[in-house]
Amino acid sequence: MSSAMWIAVLASAIGTLLIRLLPLLWMRRRLKRLDGEDGVEAMPQWLALLGPMMIAAVLGVSLVPHRLDAVGWLASAIGVLATLAVWYRLRSLGWPVVAGVAAFGAVILIAGMR
Amino acid sequence: MIDQTTSVSSRPWLSGVHEAFPLLGGYVPVAISFGLIAVQAGFTPWEATLISTLVYAGASQFLFVGMIAGGAPLWLAVVMTLLINVRHAVYGPNLAAWMNASRWWPWLMHGLTDQIFALAHHRFPQLPEAQRLGWFAGAALLAWASWILGTVLGALAGDWLMARWPLLGEILPFALPALFLVLVAPRFTSKRWSLALAISIGVAMLCTLTDYTNIGIPIAAGCGALCFTLIRFTPHKEPS
Repeated sequence: MSSAMWIAVLASAIGTLLIRLLPLLWMRRRLKRLDGEDGVEAMPQWLALLGPMMIAAVLGVSLVPHRLDAVGWLASAIGVLATLAVWYRLRSLGWPVVAGVAAFGAVILIAGMR
Repeated sequence: MIDQTTSVSSRPWLSGVHEAFPLLGGYVPVAISFGLIAVQAGFTPWEATLISTLVYAGASQFLFVGMIAGGAPLWLAVVMTLLINVRHAVYGPNLAAWMNASRWWPWLMHGLTDQIFALAHHRFPQLPEAQRLGWFAGAALLAWASWILGTVLGALAGDWLMARWPLLGEILPFALPALFLVLVAPRFTSKRWSLALAISIGVAMLCTLTDYTNIGIPIAAGCGALCFTLIRFTPHKEPS
């Protein structure tokens, strides 16, 4: 790797770390200033809203199947239903994911056999 | 598997490792793809691994390697990489209220990916304060290690792996939407929240389908937040 490439990789790495770190430090200082208030209450409302919305957005992005045909969408829909059904029953993190992947995989495999 | 309502553990880092395990289904196949693509783009396996270790930001790594392979100027590749990662700026402040004053937290922010944020945002309120640092370290380090090892595997044997088990690369990544679904589902607590979350999910899907995936995440989140702020449902009035 050339030295210019090294600098580019390091700049990307340090920049990404600072994007993740600096807002946290800002918020910690803000919380310190508002000492005594409940931390969650001290958070600006727009910021508290953006957290769950970002997670929902990343869910939306990841829900779009890699293969954009009927099998891909059907497998995703069945995977989602299986995940939700097991989550509704168990309220746990791991098993719903296992069930979702298994259901998604079953549809892909069955479709591949035909 | 961990019950979402339980929170006490004598070894919180182990709980973090345990709960981050489903992430591997999404991380490893994507990291293998990155290793393979980086090598095909002219990087050595060592360089691909270094990028995964230091930058550690999925989509932007693909863009970085792709732009450089396509002959783009290095400064532009860096700027685009950082622009894609700007969305991470809201993650730290959203977790800050649950963090103690430990000096380890800033160092651990290297591991604050989309998935680790989603997991931590869900779990921190349930965990006792003393356990959060260990839990986060366990979850973030497992995810980071899996990303690095996946890249090594992809760079060294990606071709062979994809030829041998082509379907695994297609099926395992569904672990990510399944996990996000489990993290988002408990938030559908009212009409107002449900509509806002559904709009965020829908807009993100639309952006992805039109090839605006990365810019789509902050746009979709903004639309959801705007909907939550603007639309209020009035409770039903009983007829007199």
